Amino acid sequence: MGGKVTCTLGEVKNRADFIIYWGGNPADCHPLHFSRYTLIPKGKHVPEGRKGRTMVLVDVRETPSAKHADILLQVKPGKDFEVITTLRALVKNQPVDAARVAETGLTLEQLQDFVDRMKNARFGVLFFGMGLSMTRGKHMNSAAALALVAELNAYTKFVSMPMRGHGNVTGADVVMRWTTGFPFGVSMSRGYPRFNPGEFSTIDVLVRGDNDATLVLGADPGATMPQPAIDHLARTPTIVLDPKVTHTSRLARVHITTATTGISAPGTVYRMDEIPLPLKPILESPYPTDEEVVHRILEKVKEKPAWTPASYKEVPCA
Amino acid sequence: MTQKTVENATCTFCGCVCDHIGLQAEGDRIVKTKRACGLGEAWFKNHTAEDCYPDALVDGKPATVDEAVEAAAEHLYQANMPLVYGLSNTTCEAQRNAVALAEWVGGVVDSHTSL
Repeated sequence: MGGKVTCTLGEVKNRADFIIYWGGNPADCHPLHFSRYTLIPKGKHVPEGRKGRTMVLVDVRETPSAKHADILLQVKPGKDFEVITTLRALVKNQPVDAARVAETGLTLEQLQDFVDRMKNARFGVLFFGMGLSMTRGKHMNSAAALALVAELNAYTKFVSMPMRGHGNVTGADVVMRWTTGFPFGVSMSRGYPRFNPGEFSTIDVLVRGDNDATLVLGADPGATMPQPAIDHLARTPTIVLDPKVTHTSRLARVHITTATTGISAPGTVYRMDEIPLPLKPILESPYPTDEEVVHRILEKVKEKPAWTPASYKEVPCA
Repeated sequence: MTQKTVENATCTFCGCVCDHIGLQAEGDRIVKTKRACGLGEAWFKNHTAEDCYPDALVDGKPATVDEAVEAAAEHLYQANMPLVYGLSNTTCEAQRNAVALAEWVGGVVDSHTSL
């Protein structure tokens, strides 16, 4: 399983007549998503706007987004993977045990109706949030959702898109992809990029105590991470670049105040559909930008003797 | 007090990255936003350009940026396995530099995506 069938939010606005939000609460977390990109705007092929679209919300509780939905499917917590797997079976007209479907908190009739609506859509889109990707099953849930959407393309046009949280986290994926070939969790310790979530993902690295120095920028792990990870940040040299003195700054050896991205610092950020947008800063900051400070640290490191992997000379040529 | 307005500014609070925000600034703070949501308005109004934090801190004591850059470079260079983490609330230009730095010091680079 893998690969994402996707599109831009402009296409969603102009084409989508069937919109699913799964494990997300855009009414609170992405307040302009409905009005700017998905439900409400009149699109070229959806001239009626909201009336021309159907919205299904799948979540474990009735969030404020529910009042924007035409259909609410309330799943039992931790049963998302089972629901998606059932949907994939129903899409392919496979027999499904109604008693086992009931364990997910939904009925077979509800899911069959959901599948019929998905297949009959002209242009469907599945937005999935952290309620799907960060709960029981984690990345397997995301993979199942992406597979469901890919398989629906045998019947109609269907796309998926993750609801990205922090401002430019999409940009981090994109930049790491075009520089290293991988989107996140990349180790350069052998001198070339290796990708292995679980081994090179931050919380795992910190909790195991694998690393012996940390540069933190555009994040405040001291406020959000599990305590063993925070303890390791305090135990080893940590360097923080942030517009404010954060929780992480207080346990760091080095803090450098930088200009706020988008308000004082210029540059490029990626929207959740991977469209790059320029920033238009309005205030002039007394502090340097992240870009400049990281560049200066890099230049200082380059002045020192070049680093090579410890094993470089020991590995015989094959 | 100097006044400034920007039309179609880009908000970086959430992944929507709305680029139709009207901003009005007086002196070193934004006083009015147009078309922003509640989260965006709070984001713009809570970040000022005031000089209210030390330029840098090294071991908890105020330092110059030069000293802090020097100390940061030394820590990362001396480490066997440095980690570069975060990258979400910053620009692609800074992210690109951070990846280059991670490569140069032979470390791990990771973002909020892995959480």
